[in-house]
Amino acid sequence: MNAALILVILLALLLTGTPISIALGMTVLTFLALFSSFSLDTVDIVSQRLFTGLESFAIMAVPFFVLSGTFLTDGGIARRIIRFALALVGWMHGGLAIAAILACTFFATISGSSPATVVAIGSIMLPAMIKQGYPKRFSVGVITTSGSLGILIPPSIVMIIYAVSTSESAGKLFVAGIVPGILLAALLMLITYLTARTRNFPTLPRASGREIWVSFKDAFWGLMLVVIVMGGIYGGIFTPTEAAAVSAVYAFIAAVFIYRGLKLRQVPRVLLSAANTSAMLLYIITNAILFSFLLTSEQIPQALSQWVVDQQLSPWMFLVALNVALLAAGQFMEPSSIILILAPLLVPIARNLGIDPIHLGVVMTVNMEIGMIHPPVGLNLFVASHIAKMGLTEVSIACLPWVFVLLAYLVLITYVPAISLWLPNLLY
Amino acid sequence: MIRAFNRALDHVEEWLIAGFMAAATLVIFAAVLHRQSAAVPWLWQYAAAFNFSWAQELCIYLFIWMAKFGAAYGVRTGIHLGVDVLVNAVRPNIRRSLIVAALSFGAFFTGAIAVMGVRWVWFIHGTGQTSPDLEMPMWVVYLCIPLGSSLMCYRFLQVLTRFLRCGELPVHTLGAGAEETA
Repeated sequence: MNAALILVILLALLLTGTPISIALGMTVLTFLALFSSFSLDTVDIVSQRLFTGLESFAIMAVPFFVLSGTFLTDGGIARRIIRFALALVGWMHGGLAIAAILACTFFATISGSSPATVVAIGSIMLPAMIKQGYPKRFSVGVITTSGSLGILIPPSIVMIIYAVSTSESAGKLFVAGIVPGILLAALLMLITYLTARTRNFPTLPRASGREIWVSFKDAFWGLMLVVIVMGGIYGGIFTPTEAAAVSAVYAFIAAVFIYRGLKLRQVPRVLLSAANTSAMLLYIITNAILFSFLLTSEQIPQALSQWVVDQQLSPWMFLVALNVALLAAGQFMEPSSIILILAPLLVPIARNLGIDPIHLGVVMTVNMEIGMIHPPVGLNLFVASHIAKMGLTEVSIACLPWVFVLLAYLVLITYVPAISLWLPNLLY
Repeated sequence: MIRAFNRALDHVEEWLIAGFMAAATLVIFAAVLHRQSAAVPWLWQYAAAFNFSWAQELCIYLFIWMAKFGAAYGVRTGIHLGVDVLVNAVRPNIRRSLIVAALSFGAFFTGAIAVMGVRWVWFIHGTGQTSPDLEMPMWVVYLCIPLGSSLMCYRFLQVLTRFLRCGELPVHTLGAGAEETA
């Protein structure tokens, strides 16, 4: 009964277009004021939660990775990574497109956000592909889709949020994303290669060994960031949050002093833009924590979990239902909100059914990737339409075939847990 | 007069959040360097002169302050996303009232939080609590809730009046935030 009330209040608020963070917080206040034995103590708990909800060092990886991503996007690093990718695979059928996927993969290993990856790689690769004679629609589809690798390949802001909201280890989740990320990149390249062969897309001359070496040397300082972040976390040198802070400082040095893509006087703008994005994320996190406090105090996760057990759902049926629910949610909300609201509800059920929460995290992340290239709220689509100067509808149509590819891939990831769990089980 | 006040407020807000961001990053970077340098033979004796045990706490406080004021800045830049399926589907006059409702909810919620925050800060002030590592008075630390939330409320009211007057809403180019810097 209370669960239904909470849901109705939340939906009503969301439909007016109230920002998701505000809607979550308002739901809590409304419910407490109208339907519970209201007392000033509850008010104090709410005010306290607004602060203590964020009082965790693990959450602070989010603003650090946002900052490092902002430096990377503008700092001239993407251009070097693209040159290196082109030297490696540019000569194949559909070389430019495959290089774009490879560059997105490289960029994803140093950045934790999908839209940032689309901006960084797409704003250089898209014009290049169209100039080379690739169909515009195909080019936009490839870039927008492979940009979504940003959240699957570690580091990943979405994964940190999942780890924080379910008390799982961010490091373990990062490792779990490596194999699925590489596999997806390979799948996208294979499809591009086959399309390029049948539709006879242009190829580039094979790069000399010297060009490969020179471009590698030029991109080296950017790619080093992978080594610092992943090596640092798994070498036990620092925690994921510290790795994020170090990567922000490193990205700053690379962007301003090594590659000189940014001038020192532009740095305050970068800081402000990163602060804008991360404050928005932290504000959603705060209110989502309030919201899950309300759910927990009304014992809704337990009830839901019990209900699923009573239905005697088998794990595979639960996973079907979960994916359908997440894809539906992906039609209306962006990834961090979905994960913050749903992960705390879903993880207890998954545990009951014997599904590993780390595997669930990867499934949810792949699911969010689909939401990002699917209208109406796919963030990647907005970014791509902005850089391609194409309408949102046209970009969405361009991505549609790729949505089906990702759906098929989601089925694979969902039902073959070993792809996600093999590497973390080996390392932990 | 009001215009000058608003412009000053905009500047203070921007410098505060960019400053918090930079400070938090440098603090954690320094703490990591400090810890690693303790393992270097000729460095550790210099490193030992400093104590960075408070770094994590400071970083968390800086980021929470950044989050509270940054959320207010976000209202101004239109970065707080909502679900716009219904809003975009209905007739213009209904759309207008939905948007006014959404903005009023924003102003009401942040206003309510500001009032609750004042109550909470007052209570903490009475207990005389200090933070574990920095030993800062906790009521000062908690001040970010009433201050940030009332600033956010002010921003919602600003956006609301501008919308009522000329029908404009701040629009953020999603994820392309990087371009602002170029």
